[in-house]
Amino acid sequence: MKISAEVKVILKDDIKDPAGLAVENILKRTNIDAESSVRTGKFFSIKTFAQNRIEAMEKINKICTEVLTNPNLEQYEIIRIKEE
Amino acid sequence: MKAGIVVFPGTNCGRDTYEACRFLGWNAEYIWHNKSTLKDYDVIFLPGGFSYGDYIRAGCLAKFSPVMTAIREFIYSEKGMVAGICNGFQILCESGLLEGALTYNLNNKFICDDIELYFEGEEICLPVAHKEGRYIKPKDTVINDLIFLKYKRNPNGSDDDIAGLYDKKRKILALMPHPERAVFKETGNTDGIKIFNFIQKELNL
Repeated sequence: MKISAEVKVILKDDIKDPAGLAVENILKRTNIDAESSVRTGKFFSIKTFAQNRIEAMEKINKICTEVLTNPNLEQYEIIRIKEE
Repeated sequence: MKAGIVVFPGTNCGRDTYEACRFLGWNAEYIWHNKSTLKDYDVIFLPGGFSYGDYIRAGCLAKFSPVMTAIREFIYSEKGMVAGICNGFQILCESGLLEGALTYNLNNKFICDDIELYFEGEEICLPVAHKEGRYIKPKDTVINDLIFLKYKRNPNGSDDDIAGLYDKKRKILALMPHPERAVFKETGNTDGIKIFNFIQKELNL
């Protein structure tokens, strides 16, 4: 079956995110919202094929752990996985 | 001394490294990244640049090039040393050949500057040029004995001011500064020669 998945990759909580901090500073300076805490990350949309849902999950997890994330720095979350 | 200089798509310091090696009287040749077997080298350089455009993360995609499998075998057979400079350091961390990881500089800037460093009990100065140079040390391993180069004034937020380190067997050495850009007197600084000599000393050649 045809699979489409969406994955979010974000730095681990204890790794400082300078891009997120830059956005926070802008929010403070412009008075848009002084209280926001912002973390930035990456989004991936993946289309593939699998025999069933279990195999689909295995494939997406393998792609995430071996290519999309560095386990020393980042964590990922499969936001959505569905049959097309 | 025979040096191999790996060139990935997007490597841009290969020529500098090549010319530096030749200037020091070493033999040098380029190795295209799709080579899966290697000739005998004393040292293999992974030079600086933006391999594969640094897509996803710096060094992330280069680790899948065939030459990296050959380099693993080269390290395992203890034929010689592997030296990673800048992007090469990032590739070695991404490959898991070195502990830890490199990510975005804390000040959010691409840092292009001459930086003072502590090396072998003395102060030296080398150029740096990177945006993902903040070294994050591994959580569960002590790496104090593996550090050979430290920043005097930490420019990028690296843990413990780390600018360069070894692997446990001291067969891999990597650093964020660019020694190959400080070899010729015309560049105004020749401290980079000390790093090349250090590699030669480590190899007992």
